[in-house]
Amino acid sequence: MSDLTIRNLFIIPTIAFLIIFNIFPLLYSLGYSFTDFRASTNAPANFVGLQNYHYLLTDPFIWRNFTITAKYVIVSVTGQVIVGFGMAMLLNRDIPLKGLITTLLLLPMMLSMAVVGLFWKLLYDPSFGIINYGLGLGKFEWLADPDVALYAVALTDIWMWSPFVMLLSLAGLSAVPKHLYEAAEIDRAGSFYTFFRITLPLVAPIVMIAIIFRTMEAFKTFDLAYILSSQPTAELIAIRLYKMAFLEWQTGMSSAFAYIVLVMVVAITNIYVKYLNKVKER
Amino acid sequence: MAAVRTPREIFLNRVAIAAVMVVLLIMLVPIYWIGSTAFKPRNLATTIPPTVFFQPEVSPFVKLMTKRSQLRKPVEQEVYDAAPWWEKMVLDGGEKVVRTGKGKIRPSGYGQRFTNSLIVSIISTFLAVSMGTLTAYGFSRFKVKGEDDWLFFILSTRMLPPVVVAIPMYLMYRVVGLNDSHLGLIILYTAFNLSFSVWIMKGFIDEIPREYEEAALVDGYTRIQAFFKIVLPEAMTGIAATAVFCFITAWNEYAFALIMTNRRAQTAPPYIPSQVGSGLPDWTVIAAGTFLFLLPVAIFTFLLRNHLLRGMSFGAIRK
Amino acid sequence: MKAKITGLLAGAAMSALCVTSAMAEDLVIFWAEWDPANFLQELVNEYEAETGVSVTVETTPWSDFQTKAFTEFNARGSAYDMIVGDSQWLGAASTGGHYVDLTDFFKKHNLGEVMAPATVKYYAEYPGNSGTYWAVPAEGDAVGWSYRKDWFEDPAEMAAFKEKYGYDLAPPATWDQLLDIAEFFHRPDENRYGVAIYTDNSYDAMVMGVENAIFSYGAELGNFETYEVDGYVNSEAAVKALEDYKKLYSYTPPGWAKAFFVENNQAITEGLAAMSMNYFAFFPALLNEATNPHAANTGFFANPAGPTGAQHAALGGQGISIVSYSNNQEEAMKFLEWFIKPEVQKRWAELGGYTAHADTLSSEEFRQATPYNEAFYQTMFKVKDFWAVPEFAELLTAANQRLYPFIVGDEGTAQETLDALAADWHATFKKYGRVE
Repeated sequence: MSDLTIRNLFIIPTIAFLIIFNIFPLLYSLGYSFTDFRASTNAPANFVGLQNYHYLLTDPFIWRNFTITAKYVIVSVTGQVIVGFGMAMLLNRDIPLKGLITTLLLLPMMLSMAVVGLFWKLLYDPSFGIINYGLGLGKFEWLADPDVALYAVALTDIWMWSPFVMLLSLAGLSAVPKHLYEAAEIDRAGSFYTFFRITLPLVAPIVMIAIIFRTMEAFKTFDLAYILSSQPTAELIAIRLYKMAFLEWQTGMSSAFAYIVLVMVVAITNIYVKYLNKVKER
Repeated sequence: MAAVRTPREIFLNRVAIAAVMVVLLIMLVPIYWIGSTAFKPRNLATTIPPTVFFQPEVSPFVKLMTKRSQLRKPVEQEVYDAAPWWEKMVLDGGEKVVRTGKGKIRPSGYGQRFTNSLIVSIISTFLAVSMGTLTAYGFSRFKVKGEDDWLFFILSTRMLPPVVVAIPMYLMYRVVGLNDSHLGLIILYTAFNLSFSVWIMKGFIDEIPREYEEAALVDGYTRIQAFFKIVLPEAMTGIAATAVFCFITAWNEYAFALIMTNRRAQTAPPYIPSQVGSGLPDWTVIAAGTFLFLLPVAIFTFLLRNHLLRGMSFGAIRK
Repeated sequence: MKAKITGLLAGAAMSALCVTSAMAEDLVIFWAEWDPANFLQELVNEYEAETGVSVTVETTPWSDFQTKAFTEFNARGSAYDMIVGDSQWLGAASTGGHYVDLTDFFKKHNLGEVMAPATVKYYAEYPGNSGTYWAVPAEGDAVGWSYRKDWFEDPAEMAAFKEKYGYDLAPPATWDQLLDIAEFFHRPDENRYGVAIYTDNSYDAMVMGVENAIFSYGAELGNFETYEVDGYVNSEAAVKALEDYKKLYSYTPPGWAKAFFVENNQAITEGLAAMSMNYFAFFPALLNEATNPHAANTGFFANPAGPTGAQHAALGGQGISIVSYSNNQEEAMKFLEWFIKPEVQKRWAELGGYTAHADTLSSEEFRQATPYNEAFYQTMFKVKDFWAVPEFAELLTAANQRLYPFIVGDEGTAQETLDALAADWHATFKKYGRVE
């Protein structure tokens, strides 16, 4: 076999598979997004033009879902960066059993989001949850209070994904050449100066990757929020989309909605990949 | 590593160690709590103050595996005495074991869901990693026109929100009859993991020096032989790490499983939360189900520890 | 190596297929996860003993029962032969072609008379008064109330209540009394609260709670014949009902913004509330000493009458239908013939099922069987239900989106809320061409 045959044999099946199961479905639903199709009835789909898009973009409830999602992304990603980077700064030194401690810290992000959501429900319980007990909050309502629920979901997300930011930050920190710190010490630079002038600029690109990646994931969040809370104040886009498609069976409308979401995700993905390549080149 | 020098630095290091311990404790308490609740008697699961020391029990696991129903009146003493030890545990909780028409004990759905999870995760991992390795080799060793664009395309498929893809997939599966089937879920998870496996395997294969194969080719190996005899053994660590990552992703997946499966092919993630169930939730049983489900992932995390960074950053960052 | 991979693949595919086919059973009934489903399993065990045909009752929790059922229906899946589906699904499931038409079966067995009238009307017939039937009423259910007998019968409390309100403390006969008693027992300092009501906005929980009030105050959700809603759901009586429901919310335990049956049962078992709203089917757990420490002190009453004397309750409960994608329709039909026999219905009631069979229901034996059966019996003659149109899920979404912020979030007035709801519902009906 020639190299060319082997190359095609190795690459084409994968690309074909991904096109069939990722791109083709999207084209399929693009068609439906211009109809009033409902998968729950036997009625044929009627072409309605851009009506679905128009309806979605002018519906105040949908805009509220977008605002909620934006709030959620900002809170949870900011939290993860602060906690995760802080943990990395603490760990970036000689510590006994460092390997074991790091591995233990990474455990949360490997777990299933759905199941994590479930057992955080137990932790958040107002009457017997250990969070209220540990913090002495009495019967504080984490999930039932409409004003708090979204932040409770974000807090769980922070618990789960701060280790991810920590992991990437640690890699960045350990890559900072030691001689730079030694030079700074000789110059009697203060620790603030060292941090802002040496550490931060060198770690920033890798932390940026963590931020974009988490932004993208937080934007898509479904499992965790769906299980933890059904508060309308915590109804993220993915949850609304799920309900529209599989509870109300507005198939055409939800296909249109999915497209609006898709455009946003592709935009963030583009930024992400640009940064990935940048870091890889270094 | 350089020795700690000044007393001030020793002090700072100690403070840091103490802080790390506190953080570790906070991060691990939730996991510890679910593990310990899985072994509690039901009346100790929701106490205030929380019960930390207790006589561990296996009754949550017994209840997890059987289908139970509320006792509406107490059972007669002789029935109770005749019951095996595990059934007594259920009766003690004010419930009875549901039986089929032939008097056989009805298992809960947990065992079947767990098995489904294993089948779907293992097969889809196998497919994703084998296809991914070949494709990664193709991209790593041969010139491909528009390589970066193809790789971006491959990665982008991974970034699609599951619910967005689920709508058309549901409709397409309906046409071909793949809803609620293992095969349908395997295909979805393979597609989902394939992009990841290409990206990360490309990193591993890029690291294997081309000279190894070239030497083999000079010795009269064909390209295919060189791939299987030289490259694959060298890439074995990478393949294992990729496989574990793919397995965990498939094992944990929730949204597709929720939408695309029902009675026959449902996996554990949508099933476990659904056990909050009727009447008054029995948290010990939920914890037992969660504990068994999280255990494999916890073990794998330890096996994977040296590759976590690479896996989580799609091979962009290596150590 | 290649052969090995192919072999492995083939093996994997085989095992995947085997798992699917090994699960074939004679008949499968799908229902939600709750005690009645376990009682039904016990009942169908007897069918197996008689006929040798095994029947399995598969369950899924209430929270995703509707989604699971309809993802299966709309995928035209054959996993379930029969389904014990919610009353408001009738429109969607019958027009969607998911249910087998049972009109002939219904007429042949004269089920219109054998089963209690309300259950026939709401669990079986669609569209209303059409004489077309899609289900056999299986589990009657409605919203009722549990209360703490020991609190109500405490002499000191009784005296204090009489002093304050001028009448005797007893299970409420009217909504006004319900409000008084809730206020009376609402003592946050003592960790004791007035009442537990439905507030969960994820499926139909809160809507059922509000409906309970709206119907009892003499209002309607709309005209079920003409689909007019303006002037019905936002009528003066409905507005008053919603205002009072909100007032009840202020007497609930802290954190009652997300309550459905689990929480409302907990309100009693944890000694939090004096009275608690719930479907009758969830009451068995309250009589069980192992799950309710106050079991001996728990009493039950039917939904009280409104200011005009109208007394109604929101309907729960389900009829059993045959899924049209099932491969065992004939076998399922035979099962239904067995199920409607009077002796089977009697057995069903003994096992804990809420039969819809009129004679069994009105028997002394049934009414005395549990402390709540009498209240259940009374309630089943005055139930009313939500819209059963195919687009009911959208109507529920709108109701949740409008009612929740008012009741829990204190936004707007009852009039504004219901006006907005009427407009939403009108728009939905217009979208589906039911109104001009």
